[in-house]
Amino acid sequence: MTTPENMTPDRPGPAPVDLTWTANPGGPVSQWIDNHARQLFIMPAVLMILVFSIFPLVASLIIAFSRIRLRGGGYQVRFVGWKNFEKQIFGSEQFHFLGTFTQMSVVGWMVGLSVTGLILWWMYKYVTTQFTVVGFIGRLITASVTIAIAFMFAATFFSGNPFGTLGVTLFYVFVGCGVQFLIGLGLAFLCSQQIRGRNFFRVAFFIPMMITPIGVGYVFRMLADTTKGPFTPLWQGLGLKDFAWATDPWAARVFIVIGDSWQWIPFVFIILLAAFENVPRDYVEAAEMDGAGSWQIFREITWPQVLPVAVTVMLIRVIEAFKIVDLPNIMTSGGPGIATESMSLHSFFAWRALDLGQSAAIAYLLLFVTVVICVSFFNLIVLNRMRQND
Amino acid sequence: MTERTLYQRLFEPPRINQMAIGTKVVVYGLLLIWSAVVLFPIYWLLITSVKSAADVNGGPVYIPFVDFTPSLHAWRELFVVDYEDTLRAYFNSIIISLAATLLSTLIGSMAAYALARVKYAPNLVTVLIFAILMIITFVSIGIYGVDWRLVIASALAVFFFLMKAVSSRVKIPLKNGDILFWMISQRILAPIVVVVPIYMMFQTVRMLDTHLAIILTYAVVNLPIVVWLMYDFFTSIPRDLEESAQLDGATMFMTFREVVLPLSKAGLAATTLLVMILSWNEYLLALFLSTAKAQTMPILVAAMNAGERGILWWSMSAVIVVMIIPVVFMAVVLQRYISKGILLGAVKG
Amino acid sequence: MSELASDAKRLTISGMNKYYGAFHAVKDLNIEVEPGEFLVLLGPSGCGKSTALRMIAGLEEISSGSLTLGGRDLTDVLPKYRDIAMVFQSYALYPHKTVAENIGFPLKVAKVEKDLMERAVYEAASQVHMEGLLDRFPRQLSGGQRQRVALARAIIRRPACFLMDEPLSNLDAKLRGAMRAELKHMQKSLGVTTIYVTHDQIEAMTLAHRVAIMKDGILQQLGTPAQVYSDPANLFVAGFMGSPPMNFIEGVAGRGTLDLGDAQLPLSGVAEGTKVTLGFRPEDSQVMDAGSGRFDADVFTSEMTGDLTLVTLRRGETHMTIKMPKDYEAPSDDRAAIGFEAAQAYLFDTDTGARLDASLTEG
Repeated sequence: MTTPENMTPDRPGPAPVDLTWTANPGGPVSQWIDNHARQLFIMPAVLMILVFSIFPLVASLIIAFSRIRLRGGGYQVRFVGWKNFEKQIFGSEQFHFLGTFTQMSVVGWMVGLSVTGLILWWMYKYVTTQFTVVGFIGRLITASVTIAIAFMFAATFFSGNPFGTLGVTLFYVFVGCGVQFLIGLGLAFLCSQQIRGRNFFRVAFFIPMMITPIGVGYVFRMLADTTKGPFTPLWQGLGLKDFAWATDPWAARVFIVIGDSWQWIPFVFIILLAAFENVPRDYVEAAEMDGAGSWQIFREITWPQVLPVAVTVMLIRVIEAFKIVDLPNIMTSGGPGIATESMSLHSFFAWRALDLGQSAAIAYLLLFVTVVICVSFFNLIVLNRMRQND
Repeated sequence: MTERTLYQRLFEPPRINQMAIGTKVVVYGLLLIWSAVVLFPIYWLLITSVKSAADVNGGPVYIPFVDFTPSLHAWRELFVVDYEDTLRAYFNSIIISLAATLLSTLIGSMAAYALARVKYAPNLVTVLIFAILMIITFVSIGIYGVDWRLVIASALAVFFFLMKAVSSRVKIPLKNGDILFWMISQRILAPIVVVVPIYMMFQTVRMLDTHLAIILTYAVVNLPIVVWLMYDFFTSIPRDLEESAQLDGATMFMTFREVVLPLSKAGLAATTLLVMILSWNEYLLALFLSTAKAQTMPILVAAMNAGERGILWWSMSAVIVVMIIPVVFMAVVLQRYISKGILLGAVKG
Repeated sequence: MSELASDAKRLTISGMNKYYGAFHAVKDLNIEVEPGEFLVLLGPSGCGKSTALRMIAGLEEISSGSLTLGGRDLTDVLPKYRDIAMVFQSYALYPHKTVAENIGFPLKVAKVEKDLMERAVYEAASQVHMEGLLDRFPRQLSGGQRQRVALARAIIRRPACFLMDEPLSNLDAKLRGAMRAELKHMQKSLGVTTIYVTHDQIEAMTLAHRVAIMKDGILQQLGTPAQVYSDPANLFVAGFMGSPPMNFIEGVAGRGTLDLGDAQLPLSGVAEGTKVTLGFRPEDSQVMDAGSGRFDADVFTSEMTGDLTLVTLRRGETHMTIKMPKDYEAPSDDRAAIGFEAAQAYLFDTDTGARLDASLTEG
């Protein structure tokens, strides 16, 4: 056998090392693994999801249609049909879930009817221009849910009555995500400019995401305290010394949205910043050469490139925002009354009261609203944009 | 600022770094204001953790050594007096979030890789039969109280019978995209929807308040994120490399370990960091699944609300500060692998 | 051929088809590759040559037909058990592995002992003159060096068959010539059966023992470079081989003549009324004074390339290129004639593209 030293590397020729190459099939076990690799790669994930996601989902559905009692260490399950849902939507828990209904005010009627009109017009336009059966059914569900929610707000908020956990959750989702998007977008745009200390801002702005939501809740409670918090002198100056956030429904809700936004703006910021930085420099420079102003460049060049990312980021945020539970639990415990109780928290409280059926029913209602809104958002905005681009 | 020539002033619009002084003031002003918004709560957290009870309750004091004398009593309580509780929660959190992240990233990456490279065509008919049988099984066990062994055995028998009879004749193949959507859409589930059955499940097998229960739950909750981010990353790796490895005799597992994973460091780092942060900070599931032994840090934070004595602000601040440290550490460690725009690729869709 | 050629394996492709849904990418391919032969699959992009190669490698499923190597049926064998090495167009070097790790990967996978592997890596690297750069990473190498590493990785395990998918197309023109020569020399000395895919007919001509020309998934002609050049089976092969390509003029067969509109050429053996395409190579023809050749044409341009002058003439919409000596000067009156020997004219059926068994007659 030749050693590397006495090789003559200049002369190409067959390798003198005696080596018969064969693919090593290994033992029967490794051979079996190899033959079933395609299944083995995906199966763990599928099984995990089946056991810890699909199974609980189905089980939860059954619980939602049942009344469960603890009996000597075990459970006694009794099927009660739609009763749990009825109680939330029409029955004694209606005030809690939907809100308090009394006589509808004129404003309420106006809001409810105008939303209904708009939705009907939108459906009419769809049916007359581009009708498909699946599309129609999908839009029908979206339309009914939207009208139902509009009348819920019309009969409660616009008629001077308090609304329930559904309204509160929607408030958190839409107001919260709106605020997060606008501030996140603004910060990302500023940071994408050629400024000094970009790295500092980038790191600093990311910090809130690293803190546990429970911690954020407490920190904001601490900051907002009107006697011990850092802004005490300010409250005193404004004559609000005795004002307590947690006793005014709207102040409490806004307070929670502020905490939630503080935590999640970094997420929107970091992804939109990447999107801004991804806009090719040449485009912007070419536009500058053509004499476009900053606003024109933003609107014509930068924004169209950032928009697809922005839409998806908002979809993610909306999905996550529906789950909000830690902040209202810590900051206000859902109070005053039920003014800041989100649906997740509502379900959690029901569980704590050992009313498992109600808890599961509320959770399922939450799931239903989330799916309808997210799927509508995805189909009507994201897919529509994709279709336009084709 | 350097003098601009007449030509430049006439024909070249101002570049961003030559912003007018007014614009500059506004831009830096806004950025500094937001820095204050972000950093002030952190600062308040830090100083509160070194305040005495009297300093906290007596109204706001702002600057240590000037306004008040810092004391380490909260820290002492945390790490000397109650060190057992603190350290246990700390180690629980570290073990649970590390293991959950590892498990989730591994299983999720494998599934994402398979979906990116292997063509699957599960039969929709089989999937539907499976789903319907599963619901029937649960209803008959859960509501009608039929013996579970009997139900599961007969469900399996019916399933295989129907597979042979129906699935082999009627084939409506699903695509990889459908599987991917199914996996990612699990993220829509709010924890509250699934947590009660998961709680009952672990109770049945006597696994409540164990690390494993929480690890498994966290891993599944974060699986959709991993699958989503890594799927996008894997589709961007040139196939040549894997095909070459395949021809050189590597198995799918070897290709994955030797070629695909090392090339995906950037994606893995970003995914790991995100999943890590989410697991580390999770509260609701931990609240359900742990009672004492397996308590994590967020539970400890919540426990600082000591009821009748009010909130122990100083201790709580100290615990939160302690909780931030490992996350920052992980972020710094993983930072060098994360090239910008990793998350962007997935989000662009 | 070298001693090893006796170990070389015969590769038989019979009736191989590839369908992508309704698209028929490779149609009934039959090729017998001799042991130790260098076979080049040549064709324009999208002709199915890469698909055919990937089917041989096992990276694409064979829709129907069979494949054997050294008598062993490979049709349904996984790529890793085929004993075939492939060099990719992109080289497919693992960016996170050093040159040595890249070359040694097939042995690592086969769990070869470490010292044996190190020696084999060194020797394989020596054959491509890369033994001094074993610790580098692919990103630190030039295009040519990466190419050599890819080759070393292919030869280290001495496979029964080499597959190469346009391995030289990412190199600049100068390096490509040098690598071509080296590749040919190495294949000859190793004596391994090789299938090489390219769209570059010069590469095919210079490297191949035999060339297989493909178009639209169909094998057009299989033969030695000299055969396919001088005896093309059809219009497509004739037009694909040679640089600049063969000139074509369309006409109609008359009674003993080929009617080109303004000129009549004597012709025999073609049924009257058949549409005929006349082909002649730039190197087989000359530009002559107007009226003295086969037919007249307008001088369009004249380009001096150094070793010769390329004269392009125009006849209606048809352009024709003629190779003339480097000191040739085009006629001043812009009108010239083209002349060629009757034996060097090729005749094709315009409608089917098939070569006609006929010739011009000297008249």
